[in-house]
Amino acid sequence: MKRRDFLKGCAGGALALGLGSPFGNIGAALAQEAPFPDLVAARGENLPRMFDAALTALGGLSRFIQKGQTVLVKPNMGWAVTPDKAANTNPELLSHIVKNALNVGASRVYVFDNTCDNWASSYRDSGLEAAAKDAGATVAPAHDSGSFQEVVNPGALYLKEVELHELYLEADVIINVPVLKHHGGAKMTAAMKNLMGVVWSRGSLHWSGLDESVPELLLYKKPTLNVVDAMRVMLTGGPRGRGDSQYLACRTLIASADAVACDSACAAIMASAGIAQPGYVFNASQRGLGVSDLATLNVQRLTV
Amino acid sequence: MARRPARFLRWGRAIAGSALLAALVLSFYFPDSSWRFAQYFAKAQFGQILGAVVSLGSAASLALFLFYALLTKVWGRVFCSFLCPLGVAMELVGLLRQKARPLKFRRSPRSFWRALIPALALFLFLMGVTLPFGLLEPFSVFSSKSFWLDVPGLVLALALALAYFKGRAFCNCLCPVGLIFKILARKTRYRLEVGPQCPRCGRCEAACPCHCLDPGEGGVEYERCVLCLRCLKACPNGSLAFRRSAPAQSHSPSPALARASGSAPTSTPALASAFASAPASFPLARRSFLRQAALVAVAGAAIAAPELTRAQTILVPDETPILPPGALSLAHLNAHCSLCHGCVRVCPNGALRPATRGGISLIGKPVLDPYRGFCQYDCVRCAEICPTNALLGISVEMKHYWRIGLVHLRRKECIVVKNGTRCGACAELCPTGAARMEMGPSGREEPTLYRPLCIGCGACQKACPVRPVSPIWVVGRKYQDAMASRPIQNHGADIAMTEDFPF
Repeated sequence: MKRRDFLKGCAGGALALGLGSPFGNIGAALAQEAPFPDLVAARGENLPRMFDAALTALGGLSRFIQKGQTVLVKPNMGWAVTPDKAANTNPELLSHIVKNALNVGASRVYVFDNTCDNWASSYRDSGLEAAAKDAGATVAPAHDSGSFQEVVNPGALYLKEVELHELYLEADVIINVPVLKHHGGAKMTAAMKNLMGVVWSRGSLHWSGLDESVPELLLYKKPTLNVVDAMRVMLTGGPRGRGDSQYLACRTLIASADAVACDSACAAIMASAGIAQPGYVFNASQRGLGVSDLATLNVQRLTV
Repeated sequence: MARRPARFLRWGRAIAGSALLAALVLSFYFPDSSWRFAQYFAKAQFGQILGAVVSLGSAASLALFLFYALLTKVWGRVFCSFLCPLGVAMELVGLLRQKARPLKFRRSPRSFWRALIPALALFLFLMGVTLPFGLLEPFSVFSSKSFWLDVPGLVLALALALAYFKGRAFCNCLCPVGLIFKILARKTRYRLEVGPQCPRCGRCEAACPCHCLDPGEGGVEYERCVLCLRCLKACPNGSLAFRRSAPAQSHSPSPALARASGSAPTSTPALASAFASAPASFPLARRSFLRQAALVAVAGAAIAAPELTRAQTILVPDETPILPPGALSLAHLNAHCSLCHGCVRVCPNGALRPATRGGISLIGKPVLDPYRGFCQYDCVRCAEICPTNALLGISVEMKHYWRIGLVHLRRKECIVVKNGTRCGACAELCPTGAARMEMGPSGREEPTLYRPLCIGCGACQKACPVRPVSPIWVVGRKYQDAMASRPIQNHGADIAMTEDFPF
């Protein structure tokens, strides 16, 4: 009897550790370690410096990357437009993150995106391929269905089977580096929506409705860290941007382990400029994939 | 002449030709990194620049045309075994054959019939019916993509099979470019000639894949020679060599042959003799009959061609296809496109393909299929690579307001209206704002068209998740044109934040 009790206790403890926290066990372990903020927002003029400040507040990049781990840095490079249009992640920021990941001991850093425009033009024109390669990352292709593997998405209502990029499945650490901008379909794109770039059949997300399916991208695997580039925010004509697009001089960088919290802060920025709220942020928090109510989180605001 | 330069010429030609061919094939398979090579290669093709020359499309084409004419007038058909990709490929096939089981060729007499098919193809091309020309032009044969049960592939297979079994028969019997070179090469400054110390061993004749060489009576019929230079290698004592032509005898057959046929066909007018005189062994009456038949055929083609041209503008398909940017109209594309499919090969999104429907005029011409891919907003590769000016070279800036099609929407079949799904894929991809998500009668944000802004790129149709038939689709414009006004540009400053941290 005693041994059986012991085993039951072990199983229960493991379950509690696994399911007890909305962040999963890593989040729970981290939460006990030190009073790090849940979300850091940094304002300034220089994205790499803002990143450094935000990460210092979060306890350093080494808190997220262990020595020898493989890291996927997933920018938004879905559009064949130049960096000044702010439709893709800032190349300087990406390059800085890749260098830092290698500095803290990442064995390899991968960068890819399943683009909307032609992939070769998007990789080139966004300046992100060159920036990532110069910083020492491996830029992987994502324009061929052969790079993707179908997985069963646990607990999904819409994306029950989803084809994810093999590097997204393999990488030990995922750093999600989206750009915040307006989006014609989903109202806004930031952390969660950026994960559409690791999925092959994007059409199925549109087919089931973005508000419902975008949160389900967090079900199979969550990014370890989200860093939102909100330096210059496209307010109209997104996500590609047009000649008449308007921009918000936002000068902000948001970092958090919780993609939903990131998107909630981004939605607040968009709302301050009069852009309607996306539905998927609320849906994600309803389904327990993250916390959208920033009042309940420890938010640190920095000016660099 | 000594043998050393001859060998150098032969190997130099073989190596340079093969290198160019390999580079071309590579640039076909890796267009993203090396499509510029294919562009320059296509634009250096004699048959391709004809399209640009007949419409006086570009000064560079005209200059290149004159250069090739001059080159041929001096040295003969240098182009055919050196720059023509099909010619080089046929030489490689010939080389394989000679290594495996050598063919022995025999000189064949001149024949009028050799000129018939290429002359008709050329004539129809000049009259604006380009399909036969496109199927026979050597660069097009080499580069075109499959359509219509892969007719281009069959022509390529035929050319290579001919090269294996019959030598360079394609170049003299089917190739329209070869015909032009033939006319130009009737009189050249330098030509291959049999010297007086010739031992009459017959090895050069056995080696000649053009069947145009006879060390005995016939000599070298230089207009048919494609300068493969196999004869130079075969000649045991170097008596066969390039010599400066003697003005009087530049083309007439040797006196012995003239005596045998009983006539001296030196006074034939240039064009008529371009079709080559009938075999010398034919009786006179039969020869004149053949000449008359040729004239009747040409006259018939001349009468039929305008009818065909008219027919191909009438036989437009039910729904106007989306033509590549710069094609202007179906009529313009029809009259210039040589079916080389350079545009199909370099399209980064794989959106262009050879048409398989739409009547004899449209078949094989490039059309845009948005279900495969859309026309990339900042890309004008197809217009840049086009060697015949079938696609006028429009700039990227102009492309932004160049309308190739117009968007249509069947609102009730859109999943936003029908199922209340939040989709917006069309608006997401639209580069001009012609499709936007706006509050509609369904009480939701639904796709709303601003059709004057549409350039017809097809991104909305590609992005739409509804298949097999997308409720948002693009129909090609019958006449491509520029928008009345340029896209609006926002030059204003960025909006400032109302508070530092709005959360």
